Amino acid sequence: MARLTSALCYRDPKAALKWLEAAFGFELVLLIEDGEGNLAHSQMSLGEAHVMVGNEWSADHASPASLGGKNTQTVHIHIDEDVDAHCERARAAGAEILMEPDTQFYGDRTYRCRDLEGHIWTVGQTVKAVTREEAEAATGLKIQGWA
Amino acid sequence: MSARILVALRIKAPPTRVFDAFVGETGVWWRPNPLFSFTPRSPGVLAFDGEGEGARLVERLASGKVFEIGRVRTWVRGERLVFGWRQAAFAPGMDTEVEVRFEAVGEETRVTVEHRGWETVPAEHVARHGFPDQLFLLRHGQWWTGLLEGLSVHLTP
Repeated sequence: MARLTSALCYRDPKAALKWLEAAFGFELVLLIEDGEGNLAHSQMSLGEAHVMVGNEWSADHASPASLGGKNTQTVHIHIDEDVDAHCERARAAGAEILMEPDTQFYGDRTYRCRDLEGHIWTVGQTVKAVTREEAEAATGLKIQGWA
Repeated sequence: MSARILVALRIKAPPTRVFDAFVGETGVWWRPNPLFSFTPRSPGVLAFDGEGEGARLVERLASGKVFEIGRVRTWVRGERLVFGWRQAAFAPGMDTEVEVRFEAVGEETRVTVEHRGWETVPAEHVARHGFPDQLFLLRHGQWWTGLLEGLSVHLTP
């Protein structure tokens, strides 16, 4: 078995821990602080999934807040129910909603937002089963590997 | 400020049941870790000796000797437990403290362990095995996660 985990960099990771709990429902499962109270390492969980939340710990690790908002990767959360309520929770916590919840041609209803330091997150929920033929007809694309 | 470790885990049982197992069935779910042994004669069997504030967390060794790891400082059944945590090699003034919180989340309990005071144990102390501070704390935290997983398996086999 393999598992993939995103490790996100924040200027203020302790603020991020609070924000990610309030906005997305992540729960803190591991936090290591040094003698000065600085965050050394942390992990949060959402169901069976994890993210690591850290600081800008080397010259090559930076938050979007230090890069004019640029992202080089984004994180996608897939949930089982009520993506619209998830979006409202994120909005209430201060997320900047970049795309309101919308049902996509592939059958997922998704929204996209920026967090407190500019990381872009997408959140989706499968709301209807779509066949490869339907998806190809809807987009004009040839699709391989359709599950 | 305190160098601290925080780990949390959800367990499918109510807070009073999780608390009772934490303090009353410790020897059953505890998993000794040779990196963090309390005495040179460890591992023994861990137990809370007594109930309420003033009770003691002890390790009963095969020799019959009993090592006191720490005294209970707060005991609120189903909510909160605070106790001291010393290894035999700790010098006076070295003292760490463990706080365990039990919060109901639906039908589950979110158990949070906060282990603090590691700044009182110097970097060169034998308990740290020469690990850099962050690595030592991370390894210790992973042990706590394993301990809570053991508690979870014990409660929901």
